[in-house]
Amino acid sequence: MPIFDQGYQHWSGELSGHAWRWLAISRQGVRVGLKNRFLRLLLFVAWVPALALVLMLCAWGLLERGSAMVSGFTRLIALMQPSLVMDPKYYRADIWRLSYGYFLQIELWVSMILVLLAGPSLISQDLRFNALPLYFSRPLRRIDYFLGKLGVIVAFLAMVVILPAIVAYIFGLLFSLDITILRDTFGILLASIGYGVIIALSAGLLILALSTLSRNSRYVALLWIGLWFVGSIVGHALQAVDSQDRRQAYYNKITVTRPMGRDDASLSNAERQRQRREWHRAIQRANDEYRVAELEFSKNDWRPLVSYSANLSRLGQQLLHTNQTWAKLAAMQPDPASRDRILALYMGPQFPWYWSAGVLVGLFGLSACILNFSVKSLDKLK
Amino acid sequence: MLFELEGVTKTYGAVTALDDLSLSVAPGAIGLLGPNGSGKTTMIRTLLGLIQIDAGSGNVLGMDIRRRQLDVRRAVGFAPEDECLFPRMEGIEFVAYAGELVGMRTKDAMQRSHEVLDYVGLGEVRYRKVETYSTGMKQRLKLASAIVHDPDLLILDEPTNGMDPAGREEILQLSRDLAHNKGMSLLFSSHLLPDVEAVCDTIVVLGGGKLLAQGDIQQLKELHNRFFEVRVKADAELFAQRLSALGCSTEIREDIILVQLPEGRTPQMLWQVAADHRQQIRHLRPQRGTLEEVFLKAVERT
Repeated sequence: MPIFDQGYQHWSGELSGHAWRWLAISRQGVRVGLKNRFLRLLLFVAWVPALALVLMLCAWGLLERGSAMVSGFTRLIALMQPSLVMDPKYYRADIWRLSYGYFLQIELWVSMILVLLAGPSLISQDLRFNALPLYFSRPLRRIDYFLGKLGVIVAFLAMVVILPAIVAYIFGLLFSLDITILRDTFGILLASIGYGVIIALSAGLLILALSTLSRNSRYVALLWIGLWFVGSIVGHALQAVDSQDRRQAYYNKITVTRPMGRDDASLSNAERQRQRREWHRAIQRANDEYRVAELEFSKNDWRPLVSYSANLSRLGQQLLHTNQTWAKLAAMQPDPASRDRILALYMGPQFPWYWSAGVLVGLFGLSACILNFSVKSLDKLK
Repeated sequence: MLFELEGVTKTYGAVTALDDLSLSVAPGAIGLLGPNGSGKTTMIRTLLGLIQIDAGSGNVLGMDIRRRQLDVRRAVGFAPEDECLFPRMEGIEFVAYAGELVGMRTKDAMQRSHEVLDYVGLGEVRYRKVETYSTGMKQRLKLASAIVHDPDLLILDEPTNGMDPAGREEILQLSRDLAHNKGMSLLFSSHLLPDVEAVCDTIVVLGGGKLLAQGDIQQLKELHNRFFEVRVKADAELFAQRLSALGCSTEIREDIILVQLPEGRTPQMLWQVAADHRQQIRHLRPQRGTLEEVFLKAVERT
């Protein structure tokens, strides 16, 4: 089509102010991100745990009202812990805390994958296609650019963490039909939202910083995988090696002789069985002692700090008080051994939460520095 | 005034990019000329409020460049020199996004994007990914994204760099049309003097961060009205001596005499001298002034 066929019309519309200019960048980023079908699929899948959370909260609401609709669920809970069914309202906050705790634990992993899909190209592609002069020659400040890009990650993570948490809360509220639920559980909702914001800001700024380190978004994705996955594996490996040593130390203390089995013809069957029972009891004792000691040891275990997701997870536990809730539920067990077993099985890391907060704040500061040095204004650009 | 700069100085370490630059430019189509390192890009960035100047002041469209940078950039359209793109977008999204970044509403930006893409001749490729565009198409895309919000001043930095003749001609046509028929002021920075001459009415020549020349292109070229090329039948050297005796500057190149008449004299003087000395003038024509000469003379003066 020859030029000028369409002519040129003047435009006299209104231009908005500068305060929300960053929103245009976020909007565009989300639009581009949603073109990725894997990301769309993940956003869909991320609502499955939310559905489970909704079902749990609704079921508990119905259980509180003694509804026959959840009789099967009531019987199941009664089987596990009868006192829960006897006074469900008393345990309402605890159940909600644990439900939200599990939900957020799963969504943390979903968030990491989501960041992997949406984040690496955010700045690296702008660097590759030299888009910064286009941005900064328009009425945008660097802070608007950063906020806009961060907004993309925050928007996606809000879709899988914050929004489902709010929706589940509303459903839980509706099925409970009890106004006191607000008093008991509103803090849990705030904690969940706060945790979602922490994940979004921390992971968002971190992936933006990584995104400035290469013009190839695949390398950035590898960096993110390295930070998240390798960090987790190293953290777990360090913990496993250390804990194995300690477990072995407890086994070494066993004084009972290990039964020889059927090869020892000098022993009668009854004697052989007695030895075996004694051996199993000794093993059980060693395991119980080890578990108690582990709970104590985990209060000062720094090894999980190596893992980025473990640090986020620790903050989540602290915000939702899930460890305290498990301690409360474990205290309902009459037998100290089963109490310890529950604590050992379900309680998360117990090292001071501010260690994790410190690591995350450090990473946040480092990310901000990298962004500041890597994305220069046009004054500094060639 | 379109823009004014007063005593603007900008240094990068030991290098002075703008040296006490003062100028005042009226609306219209302005060509910005200067050799490499003359401070053209720094001047453009100063006008857009993209850099902190060391001294001086200025305004663009009446807005202070030190205090209202964002307002200036909102009122001005700018197409940078480098090849730069918003990645992973179709042409239509690219221009609409540029509009949104300036503050247009999403719907307005999209509607306007269609209009300007048609205007720059990219209507048929609006749904193609911008990464697949040719160099010429990318330049026109940048132009479209610079005019999407219908700015009062359009700044084009080396818009025809690296383009084939057809693409270059299209950009020049568009620039000329915007500046002369659509009422948009244009600051056209280019190394290619014919391009500036084809589009602009006035020029600003920079060198070493200083203003070397400024004015209407036709007026600057009129300086050449006293320059003539003369070829005579007889002895050229003798004819040149006679002209020199009457106050003309002369220079012989092969059989052509380059003559500069004294102030206030007309070419009639040449005919008179030939008649007085019974010589035949075989060839007489004014020496054509080009922007290149204006530019080179301005640079030489420094």
